[in-house]
Amino acid sequence: MAIIQCENITHYYGNRLIYKNISFEVKRGKILGLLGKNGTGKTTIINILTGYLKPRSGVCRILGEEMEHLSPAAKSRIGLLLEGHIQHSYFNIEQIEKFYSQFFPNWKREAYYELLKKLQVAPTQKISTMSCGQRSQIALGLLFAQDPELLILDDFSMGLDPGYRRLFVEYLREYTTAENKTVFLTSHIIQDMELLIDDCIVMDYGRLLLHEPTARITKNFRRFRFQATATPPQTPVLWNTEKVGHTWETYSFAPAEEVRRELTSAGGEVSRFVEEKLSLEDAFIGLTGKY
Amino acid sequence: MNAIIYKEWIKTRRFVLLLGVLFAALITYIFLWSGQMMEASGAVIIWETIIGKDMRLVGYIKYLPPAAGILLAIVQFAPEMQSKRLKLTLHLPVNEGKMMCGMLGYGFTVLLALFSLSCAILMLGLSVRYAHEIVMANFWVSLPWFAGGLFTYLLGSWTCLEPVWKQRIFNAVTAACLVATLYTDQMSGAYATYLPYMLALLAVCFFFSLYSTARFKDGVQ
Repeated sequence: MAIIQCENITHYYGNRLIYKNISFEVKRGKILGLLGKNGTGKTTIINILTGYLKPRSGVCRILGEEMEHLSPAAKSRIGLLLEGHIQHSYFNIEQIEKFYSQFFPNWKREAYYELLKKLQVAPTQKISTMSCGQRSQIALGLLFAQDPELLILDDFSMGLDPGYRRLFVEYLREYTTAENKTVFLTSHIIQDMELLIDDCIVMDYGRLLLHEPTARITKNFRRFRFQATATPPQTPVLWNTEKVGHTWETYSFAPAEEVRRELTSAGGEVSRFVEEKLSLEDAFIGLTGKY
Repeated sequence: MNAIIYKEWIKTRRFVLLLGVLFAALITYIFLWSGQMMEASGAVIIWETIIGKDMRLVGYIKYLPPAAGILLAIVQFAPEMQSKRLKLTLHLPVNEGKMMCGMLGYGFTVLLALFSLSCAILMLGLSVRYAHEIVMANFWVSLPWFAGGLFTYLLGSWTCLEPVWKQRIFNAVTAACLVATLYTDQMSGAYATYLPYMLALLAVCFFFSLYSTARFKDGVQ
Protein backbone atom coordinates (compact mmCIF):
# COMPACT_ATOMS: atom_id res chain seq x y z
CA MET A 1 0.00 0.00 0.00
CA ALA A 2 1.32 3.47 -0.90
CA ILE A 3 1.76 5.86 2.01
CA ILE A 4 2.65 8.75 -0.29
CA GLN A 5 1.20 9.23 -3.77
CA CYS A 6 2.03 12.19 -5.97
CA GLU A 7 0.34 12.51 -9.36
CA ASN A 8 1.32 14.86 -12.16
CA ILE A 9 2.83 17.57 -9.99
CA THR A 10 3.74 20.68 -11.94
CA HIS A 11 5.16 23.70 -10.20
CA TYR A 12 6.67 27.04 -11.17
CA TYR A 13 8.31 29.80 -9.13
CA GLY A 14 7.22 32.80 -11.15
CA ASN A 15 8.00 31.77 -14.73
CA ARG A 16 10.73 29.30 -13.71
CA LEU A 17 9.66 25.69 -14.16
CA ILE A 18 10.54 23.52 -11.17
CA TYR A 19 8.82 20.28 -12.26
CA LYS A 20 6.47 19.20 -14.98
CA ASN A 21 4.10 16.31 -14.41
CA ILE A 22 6.16 14.34 -11.95
CA SER A 23 4.54 11.33 -10.31
CA PHE A 24 5.84 8.88 -7.73
CA GLU A 25 4.72 6.86 -4.77
CA VAL A 26 6.28 5.53 -1.59
CA LYS A 27 5.24 2.14 -0.25
CA ARG A 28 4.70 1.44 3.44
CA GLY A 29 7.85 0.40 5.29
CA LYS A 30 10.24 1.89 2.73
CA ILE A 31 12.93 4.48 3.35
CA LEU A 32 13.04 6.70 0.31
CA GLY A 33 15.74 9.28 -0.32
CA LEU A 34 15.21 12.24 -2.60
CA LEU A 35 18.48 13.19 -4.27
CA GLY A 36 19.11 16.17 -6.43
CA LYS A 37 21.51 19.01 -7.00
CA ASN A 38 20.95 22.35 -5.36
CA GLY A 39 17.91 24.06 -6.81
CA THR A 40 16.25 20.97 -8.26
CA GLY A 41 13.37 21.36 -5.83
CA LYS A 42 13.89 18.79 -3.08
CA THR A 43 12.57 21.09 -0.35
CA THR A 44 9.81 22.16 -2.73
CA ILE A 45 8.62 18.55 -2.91
CA ILE A 46 8.68 18.31 0.90
CA ASN A 47 6.70 21.55 1.12
CA ILE A 48 4.14 20.29 -1.39
CA LEU A 49 3.88 16.96 0.42
CA THR A 50 3.30 18.53 3.80
CA GLY A 51 0.79 21.02 2.43
CA TYR A 52 2.95 24.15 2.75
CA LEU A 53 3.05 24.87 -0.94
CA LYS A 54 0.27 24.72 -3.47
CA PRO A 55 1.58 23.30 -6.76
CA ARG A 56 0.41 24.80 -10.05
CA SER A 57 -1.29 21.48 -10.77
CA GLY A 58 -1.38 17.88 -9.60
CA VAL A 59 -2.16 16.25 -6.32
CA CYS A 60 -0.30 14.49 -3.51
CA ARG A 61 -1.91 12.19 -0.99
CA ILE A 62 -0.36 11.21 2.31
CA LEU A 63 -1.96 8.35 4.21
CA GLY A 64 -4.82 8.61 1.73
CA GLU A 65 -5.55 12.31 2.40
CA GLU A 66 -4.89 15.23 0.06
CA MET A 67 -1.89 17.24 1.19
CA GLU A 68 -3.69 20.57 1.40
CA HIS A 69 -6.35 19.25 3.74
CA LEU A 70 -4.57 16.88 6.08
CA SER A 71 -6.79 16.09 9.05
CA PRO A 72 -5.39 16.38 12.61
CA ALA A 73 -5.60 12.56 12.81
CA ALA A 74 -3.38 12.21 9.72
CA LYS A 75 -0.95 14.86 10.99
CA SER A 76 -0.50 12.95 14.24
CA ARG A 77 0.73 9.99 12.13
CA ILE A 78 3.33 12.10 10.29
CA GLY A 79 6.59 13.21 11.90
CA LEU A 80 8.13 16.29 10.30
CA LEU A 81 11.74 17.43 10.54
CA LEU A 82 12.47 20.83 9.03
CA GLU A 83 15.72 21.73 7.27
CA GLY A 84 18.40 22.67 9.84
CA HIS A 85 16.61 20.83 12.70
CA ILE A 86 14.52 23.91 13.37
CA GLN A 87 12.61 23.72 16.62
CA HIS A 88 10.76 26.06 18.96
CA SER A 89 14.00 27.43 20.37
CA TYR A 90 12.41 29.40 23.24
CA PHE A 91 11.67 26.12 25.02
CA ASN A 92 14.13 24.19 27.13
CA ILE A 93 14.54 20.41 26.93
CA GLU A 94 11.81 19.63 29.46
CA GLN A 95 9.39 22.27 28.26
CA ILE A 96 9.42 21.14 24.63
CA GLU A 97 8.71 17.55 25.66
CA LYS A 98 5.87 18.71 27.90
CA PHE A 99 4.47 20.82 25.06
CA TYR A 100 4.51 18.12 22.35
CA SER A 101 3.32 15.34 24.69
CA GLN A 102 -0.06 17.07 25.03
CA PHE A 103 -0.84 16.60 21.34
CA PHE A 104 -0.10 12.90 20.95
CA PRO A 105 -2.05 10.29 22.93
CA ASN A 106 0.61 7.59 22.38
CA TRP A 107 3.50 9.83 23.38
CA LYS A 108 6.60 7.82 24.42
CA ARG A 109 8.29 10.07 26.93
CA GLU A 110 10.99 7.52 27.73
CA ALA A 111 12.07 7.34 24.06
CA TYR A 112 12.83 11.09 24.16
CA TYR A 113 14.76 11.02 27.43
CA GLU A 114 16.59 7.82 26.48
CA LEU A 115 18.05 9.55 23.44
CA LEU A 116 18.91 12.70 25.37
CA LYS A 117 20.83 10.81 28.08
CA LYS A 118 23.81 10.82 25.75
CA LEU A 119 23.79 14.61 25.40
CA GLN A 120 25.80 16.54 27.93
CA VAL A 121 23.01 19.01 28.59
CA ALA A 122 20.90 19.99 31.59
CA PRO A 123 17.11 19.42 31.31
CA THR A 124 16.61 23.15 31.76
CA GLN A 125 18.98 24.14 28.96
CA LYS A 126 17.29 26.27 26.33
CA ILE A 127 17.23 24.91 22.80
CA SER A 128 18.41 28.26 21.44
CA THR A 129 21.74 27.78 23.27
CA MET A 130 22.38 24.33 21.76
CA SER A 131 24.57 23.37 18.84
CA CYS A 132 22.98 22.10 15.63
CA GLY A 133 24.13 18.58 16.55
CA GLN A 134 22.42 18.74 19.92
CA ARG A 135 19.27 20.15 18.31
CA SER A 136 19.29 17.24 15.87
CA GLN A 137 19.10 14.85 18.82
CA ILE A 138 16.23 16.83 20.34
CA ALA A 139 14.38 16.71 17.03
CA LEU A 140 15.02 12.98 16.66
CA GLY A 141 13.99 12.34 20.28
CA LEU A 142 10.71 14.19 19.70
CA LEU A 143 10.07 12.17 16.54
CA PHE A 144 10.73 8.89 18.36
CA ALA A 145 8.42 9.93 21.20
CA GLN A 146 5.69 10.88 18.73
CA ASP A 147 6.14 7.46 17.13
CA PRO A 148 4.63 8.41 13.74
CA GLU A 149 3.98 5.97 10.88
CA LEU A 150 5.64 8.26 8.37
CA LEU A 151 8.69 10.46 8.90
CA ILE A 152 9.41 13.32 6.52
CA LEU A 153 12.94 14.63 7.02
CA ASP A 154 14.14 17.64 5.08
CA ASP A 155 17.93 17.75 4.69
CA PHE A 156 18.59 15.99 7.98
CA SER A 157 22.37 16.24 7.63
CA MET A 158 22.42 20.03 7.25
CA GLY A 159 24.74 21.63 9.81
CA LEU A 160 25.78 18.33 11.43
CA ASP A 161 29.39 17.26 11.90
CA PRO A 162 30.31 13.69 10.78
CA GLY A 163 29.84 12.27 14.30
CA TYR A 164 26.34 13.63 14.75
CA ARG A 165 25.45 12.70 11.18
CA ARG A 166 26.47 9.11 11.78
CA LEU A 167 24.67 9.07 15.13
CA PHE A 168 21.50 10.40 13.52
CA VAL A 169 21.64 7.86 10.70
CA GLU A 170 22.30 4.92 13.03
CA TYR A 171 19.46 5.78 15.41
CA LEU A 172 17.11 6.40 12.53
CA ARG A 173 18.05 3.17 10.78
CA GLU A 174 17.57 1.14 13.95
CA TYR A 175 14.26 2.79 14.75
CA THR A 176 12.72 2.56 11.30
CA THR A 177 13.78 -1.04 10.74
CA ALA A 178 12.51 -2.22 14.13
CA GLU A 179 9.20 -0.38 13.88
CA ASN A 180 8.49 -0.81 10.14
CA LYS A 181 8.26 2.92 9.58
CA THR A 182 8.07 4.71 6.26
CA VAL A 183 10.58 7.51 5.76
CA PHE A 184 10.80 10.16 3.07
CA LEU A 185 14.00 12.16 3.36
CA THR A 186 16.37 14.49 1.60
CA SER A 187 20.02 15.18 2.32
CA HIS A 188 22.80 16.82 0.42
CA ILE A 189 25.32 14.35 1.86
CA ILE A 190 24.79 11.21 -0.14
CA GLN A 191 27.18 8.94 1.82
CA ASP A 192 24.70 9.18 4.72
CA MET A 193 21.81 8.24 2.48
CA GLU A 194 23.62 5.13 1.26
CA LEU A 195 23.56 3.72 4.79
CA LEU A 196 19.89 4.40 5.16
CA ILE A 197 17.68 4.34 2.12
CA ASP A 198 15.95 1.46 0.34
CA ASP A 199 14.82 3.43 -2.69
CA CYS A 200 15.92 6.66 -4.20
CA ILE A 201 14.45 9.29 -6.44
CA VAL A 202 16.96 11.34 -8.38
CA MET A 203 15.73 14.78 -9.41
CA ASP A 204 17.06 16.81 -12.28
CA TYR A 205 16.06 20.35 -13.18
CA GLY A 206 12.37 20.19 -14.05
CA ARG A 207 11.96 16.43 -13.95
CA LEU A 208 12.31 13.19 -12.09
CA LEU A 209 15.35 11.42 -13.52
CA LEU A 210 15.11 8.06 -11.82
CA HIS A 211 13.15 6.18 -9.17
CA GLU A 212 14.86 2.90 -8.36
CA PRO A 213 15.87 0.71 -5.41
CA THR A 214 19.24 1.90 -4.11
CA ALA A 215 20.64 -1.63 -4.33
CA ARG A 216 19.87 -1.75 -8.06
CA ILE A 217 21.73 1.50 -8.65
CA THR A 218 24.83 0.58 -6.65
CA LYS A 219 24.87 -2.95 -8.11
CA ASN A 220 24.28 -2.19 -11.78
CA PHE A 221 25.27 1.40 -12.43
CA ARG A 222 28.94 1.57 -13.44
CA ARG A 223 31.53 4.08 -14.55
CA PHE A 224 33.58 3.23 -17.63
CA ARG A 225 36.88 4.96 -18.36
CA PHE A 226 38.45 4.59 -21.77
CA GLN A 227 40.41 6.26 -24.50
CA ALA A 228 38.78 6.76 -27.87
CA THR A 229 39.88 7.80 -31.31
CA ALA A 230 36.55 9.56 -31.97
CA THR A 231 34.00 11.35 -29.86
CA PRO A 232 31.69 8.67 -28.39
CA PRO A 233 28.06 8.72 -29.58
CA GLN A 234 25.21 10.03 -27.41
CA THR A 235 22.86 7.10 -26.80
CA PRO A 236 20.17 6.38 -24.17
CA VAL A 237 22.40 3.64 -22.73
CA LEU A 238 25.26 6.03 -21.88
CA TRP A 239 24.91 8.69 -19.19
CA ASN A 240 26.95 11.90 -19.01
CA THR A 241 29.82 10.96 -21.29
CA GLU A 242 32.64 13.48 -20.99
CA LYS A 243 36.38 13.84 -21.52
CA VAL A 244 38.52 14.30 -18.41
CA GLY A 245 42.09 15.10 -19.52
CA HIS A 246 43.04 12.47 -22.10
CA THR A 247 40.56 9.93 -20.84
CA TRP A 248 36.85 9.65 -21.51
CA GLU A 249 34.36 8.55 -18.92
CA THR A 250 30.76 7.46 -19.19
CA TYR A 251 28.20 5.83 -16.92
CA SER A 252 25.71 3.10 -17.68
CA PHE A 253 23.34 0.48 -16.28
CA ALA A 254 24.27 -1.76 -19.20
CA PRO A 255 26.90 -4.53 -18.94
CA ALA A 256 30.46 -3.74 -20.05
CA GLU A 257 30.14 -5.55 -23.40
CA GLU A 258 27.07 -3.61 -24.40
CA VAL A 259 28.72 -0.32 -23.38
CA ARG A 260 31.78 -1.14 -25.45
CA ARG A 261 29.51 -1.98 -28.39
CA GLU A 262 27.67 1.34 -28.02
CA LEU A 263 30.95 3.27 -27.86
CA THR A 264 32.25 1.76 -31.06
CA SER A 265 28.93 1.94 -32.90
CA ALA A 266 29.87 5.27 -34.45
CA GLY A 267 33.04 3.80 -35.94
CA GLY A 268 35.80 4.94 -33.56
CA GLU A 269 38.14 2.65 -31.63
CA VAL A 270 38.17 2.25 -27.86
CA SER A 271 41.18 1.31 -25.74
CA ARG A 272 42.13 1.05 -22.04
CA PHE A 273 38.48 0.27 -21.29
CA VAL A 274 38.01 -0.02 -17.50
CA GLU A 275 34.79 -0.74 -15.58
CA GLU A 276 34.43 0.70 -12.03
CA LYS A 277 31.94 -0.02 -9.25
CA LEU A 278 30.37 3.08 -7.74
CA SER A 279 29.27 4.40 -4.40
CA LEU A 280 25.83 6.04 -4.35
CA GLU A 281 27.51 9.45 -4.44
CA ASP A 282 29.50 8.56 -7.56
CA ALA A 283 26.38 7.07 -9.10
CA PHE A 284 24.54 10.32 -8.38
CA ILE A 285 27.26 12.28 -10.17
CA GLY A 286 27.04 9.82 -13.06
CA LEU A 287 23.30 10.28 -13.31
CA THR A 288 23.12 14.05 -12.95
CA GLY A 289 26.52 15.21 -14.22
CA LYS A 290 29.07 17.29 -12.38
CA TYR A 291 27.69 20.69 -13.26
CA MET B 1 -5.75 24.52 23.98
CA ASN B 2 -3.78 24.34 27.24
CA ALA B 3 -0.69 23.33 25.27
CA ILE B 4 -1.07 26.33 22.95
CA ILE B 5 -1.41 28.68 25.93
CA TYR B 6 1.60 27.00 27.55
CA LYS B 7 3.70 27.57 24.41
CA GLU B 8 2.66 31.21 24.07
CA TRP B 9 3.27 31.83 27.76
CA ILE B 10 6.80 30.36 27.61
CA LYS B 11 7.51 32.49 24.55
CA THR B 12 6.15 35.76 25.88
CA ARG B 13 6.27 35.56 29.69
CA ARG B 14 9.29 37.84 30.15
CA PHE B 15 7.79 40.44 27.85
CA VAL B 16 4.37 40.20 29.50
CA LEU B 17 5.98 40.71 32.93
CA LEU B 18 7.93 43.67 31.54
CA LEU B 19 4.68 45.16 30.23
CA GLY B 20 3.12 44.71 33.68
CA VAL B 21 6.03 46.57 35.27
CA LEU B 22 5.88 49.37 32.67
CA PHE B 23 2.15 49.92 33.11
CA ALA B 24 2.50 49.82 36.91
CA ALA B 25 5.34 52.35 36.77
CA LEU B 26 3.43 54.71 34.47
CA ILE B 27 0.22 54.51 36.51
CA THR B 28 2.23 55.24 39.67
CA TYR B 29 3.81 58.21 37.91
CA ILE B 30 0.38 59.54 36.83
CA PHE B 31 -0.86 59.32 40.44
CA LEU B 32 2.26 61.04 41.80
CA TRP B 33 2.14 63.74 39.11
CA SER B 34 -1.57 64.49 39.52
CA GLY B 35 -1.20 64.49 43.32
CA GLN B 36 1.79 66.83 43.18
CA MET B 37 -0.05 69.14 40.77
CA MET B 38 -2.97 69.33 43.14
CA GLU B 39 -0.62 70.11 46.04
CA ALA B 40 1.30 72.75 44.08
CA SER B 41 -1.50 74.59 42.27
CA GLY B 42 -4.49 73.89 44.47
CA ALA B 43 -7.69 72.02 43.68
CA VAL B 44 -9.60 74.99 42.22
CA ILE B 45 -7.06 75.78 39.50
CA ILE B 46 -6.59 72.13 38.59
CA TRP B 47 -10.32 71.44 38.40
CA GLU B 48 -10.78 74.57 36.33
CA THR B 49 -8.03 73.56 33.92
CA ILE B 50 -9.40 70.03 33.60
CA ILE B 51 -12.95 71.16 32.92
CA GLY B 52 -12.26 74.39 31.04
CA LYS B 53 -9.28 73.36 28.94
CA ASP B 54 -10.06 69.63 28.69
CA MET B 55 -6.76 68.65 30.35
CA ARG B 56 -6.15 64.87 30.32
CA LEU B 57 -4.90 63.35 33.55
CA VAL B 58 -4.16 60.04 31.82
CA GLY B 59 -2.34 61.60 28.84
CA TYR B 60 1.00 59.99 29.69
CA ILE B 61 -0.39 56.53 28.99
CA LYS B 62 -1.54 57.43 25.45
CA TYR B 63 1.13 55.61 23.41
CA LEU B 64 1.91 52.74 25.78
CA PRO B 65 -1.03 50.48 24.77
CA PRO B 66 -0.29 50.64 21.01
CA ALA B 67 3.40 50.04 21.68
CA ALA B 68 2.50 47.08 23.92
CA GLY B 69 0.20 45.66 21.24
CA ILE B 70 2.67 45.84 18.41
CA LEU B 71 5.57 44.54 20.49
CA LEU B 72 3.54 41.60 21.81
CA ALA B 73 2.61 40.71 18.22
CA ILE B 74 6.31 40.76 17.29
CA VAL B 75 7.40 38.77 20.37
CA GLN B 76 4.72 36.20 19.66
CA PHE B 77 4.87 35.82 15.90
CA ALA B 78 8.36 36.85 14.77
CA PRO B 79 9.87 33.59 16.20
CA GLU B 80 7.16 31.65 14.33
CA MET B 81 8.08 33.27 11.03
CA GLN B 82 11.83 33.01 11.63
CA SER B 83 13.06 29.95 9.71
CA LYS B 84 9.36 29.26 8.96
CA ARG B 85 8.82 27.68 12.38
CA LEU B 86 5.11 28.20 11.89
CA LYS B 87 5.21 25.00 9.83
CA LEU B 88 5.95 23.08 13.04
CA THR B 89 3.04 24.75 14.79
CA LEU B 90 0.61 24.16 11.93
CA HIS B 91 1.75 20.56 11.58
CA LEU B 92 0.52 19.76 15.10
CA PRO B 93 -2.59 17.57 15.12
CA VAL B 94 -5.04 20.40 15.75
CA ASN B 95 -7.27 22.23 13.30
CA GLU B 96 -5.14 25.05 11.86
CA GLY B 97 -7.82 27.71 12.36
CA LYS B 98 -8.28 26.65 15.96
CA MET B 99 -4.51 26.75 16.50
CA MET B 100 -4.20 30.30 15.15
CA CYS B 101 -7.30 31.50 17.02
CA GLY B 102 -5.77 30.02 20.18
CA MET B 103 -2.50 31.89 19.65
CA LEU B 104 -4.22 35.17 18.81
CA GLY B 105 -6.72 34.66 21.61
CA TYR B 106 -3.87 34.30 24.09
CA GLY B 107 -2.26 37.60 23.11
CA PHE B 108 -5.58 39.40 22.88
CA THR B 109 -6.63 38.15 26.33
CA VAL B 110 -3.29 39.11 27.89
CA LEU B 111 -3.59 42.65 26.54
CA LEU B 112 -7.27 42.95 27.37
CA ALA B 113 -6.56 41.87 30.96
CA LEU B 114 -3.61 44.24 31.26
CA PHE B 115 -5.51 47.18 29.75
CA SER B 116 -8.66 46.53 31.79
CA LEU B 117 -6.67 46.27 35.01
CA SER B 118 -4.65 49.39 34.22
CA CYS B 119 -7.77 51.34 33.28
CA ALA B 120 -9.61 50.18 36.43
CA ILE B 121 -6.66 51.11 38.69
CA LEU B 122 -6.30 54.50 36.98
CA MET B 123 -9.98 55.35 37.34
CA LEU B 124 -10.18 54.11 40.93
CA GLY B 125 -7.05 56.08 41.83
CA LEU B 126 -8.30 59.26 40.18
CA SER B 127 -11.69 58.96 41.84
CA VAL B 128 -10.00 59.54 45.22
CA ARG B 129 -9.25 63.19 44.33
CA TYR B 130 -11.51 63.99 41.38
CA ALA B 131 -15.22 64.17 40.72
CA HIS B 132 -17.01 61.32 38.96
CA GLU B 133 -17.48 63.46 35.81
CA ILE B 134 -13.75 64.14 35.53
CA VAL B 135 -12.90 60.47 36.06
CA MET B 136 -15.43 59.41 33.42
CA ALA B 137 -14.11 62.03 30.97
CA ASN B 138 -10.64 60.55 31.40
CA PHE B 139 -12.07 57.06 30.96
CA TRP B 140 -13.68 58.00 27.63
CA VAL B 141 -10.55 59.73 26.44
CA SER B 142 -8.34 56.74 27.28
CA LEU B 143 -10.69 54.14 25.83
CA PRO B 144 -9.63 54.59 22.17
CA TRP B 145 -5.97 54.52 23.29
CA PHE B 146 -6.45 51.15 24.96
CA ALA B 147 -8.51 49.94 22.00
CA GLY B 148 -5.62 51.12 19.83
CA GLY B 149 -3.41 48.61 21.70
CA LEU B 150 -5.73 45.78 20.74
CA PHE B 151 -5.78 47.03 17.14
CA THR B 152 -1.98 47.24 16.93
CA TYR B 153 -1.78 43.69 18.32
CA LEU B 154 -4.18 42.23 15.77
CA LEU B 155 -2.85 44.27 12.86
CA GLY B 156 0.74 43.67 13.97
CA SER B 157 0.05 39.91 14.00
CA TRP B 158 -1.48 40.20 10.54
CA THR B 159 1.69 41.94 9.35
CA CYS B 160 4.11 39.53 11.08
CA LEU B 161 2.34 36.45 9.73
CA GLU B 162 2.28 37.75 6.16
CA PRO B 163 4.84 35.71 4.18
CA VAL B 164 5.61 38.26 1.43
CA TRP B 165 7.67 41.38 2.30
CA LYS B 166 5.91 43.69 -0.17
CA GLN B 167 2.52 42.70 1.17
CA ARG B 168 3.90 43.01 4.71
CA ILE B 169 4.83 46.64 4.06
CA PHE B 170 1.36 47.26 2.65
CA ASN B 171 -0.18 45.66 5.75
CA ALA B 172 2.00 47.77 8.06
CA VAL B 173 1.06 51.02 6.28
CA THR B 174 -2.64 50.10 6.30
CA ALA B 175 -2.39 49.24 10.00
CA ALA B 176 -0.64 52.53 10.80
CA CYS B 177 -3.32 54.56 8.97
CA LEU B 178 -6.14 52.70 10.72
CA VAL B 179 -4.62 53.01 14.19
CA ALA B 180 -3.74 56.69 13.66
CA THR B 181 -7.48 57.49 13.54
CA LEU B 182 -7.68 56.52 17.22
CA TYR B 183 -5.00 59.00 18.28
CA THR B 184 -6.24 62.31 16.92
CA ASP B 185 -6.56 65.01 19.62
CA GLN B 186 -10.33 65.11 19.91
CA MET B 187 -12.38 66.42 22.80
CA SER B 188 -12.99 63.95 25.62
CA GLY B 189 -15.77 61.56 24.66
CA ALA B 190 -15.50 62.38 20.95
CA TYR B 191 -14.99 58.68 20.18
CA ALA B 192 -18.05 57.55 22.15
CA THR B 193 -20.27 57.19 19.06
CA TYR B 194 -17.45 55.50 17.17
CA LEU B 195 -17.18 52.75 19.83
CA PRO B 196 -19.60 50.15 18.36
CA TYR B 197 -17.89 50.46 14.96
CA MET B 198 -14.51 50.12 16.70
CA LEU B 199 -15.62 46.85 18.31
CA ALA B 200 -16.95 45.53 14.99
CA LEU B 201 -13.66 46.48 13.32
CA LEU B 202 -11.70 44.71 16.07
CA ALA B 203 -13.68 41.53 15.43
CA VAL B 204 -12.91 41.80 11.69
CA CYS B 205 -9.20 42.44 12.36
CA PHE B 206 -9.03 39.19 14.32
CA PHE B 207 -9.54 37.29 11.06
CA PHE B 208 -6.90 39.20 9.06
CA SER B 209 -4.18 37.01 10.60
CA LEU B 210 -6.00 33.89 9.48
CA TYR B 211 -5.78 35.21 5.92
CA SER B 212 -2.00 35.73 6.29
CA THR B 213 -1.70 32.21 7.70
CA ALA B 214 -3.61 30.80 4.73
CA ARG B 215 -1.16 32.60 2.40
CA PHE B 216 1.76 31.16 4.36
CA LYS B 217 0.19 27.71 4.10
CA ASP B 218 -0.17 28.03 0.32
CA GLY B 219 3.54 28.90 0.08
CA VAL B 220 2.90 32.34 -1.43
CA GLN B 221 6.28 33.97 -2.11
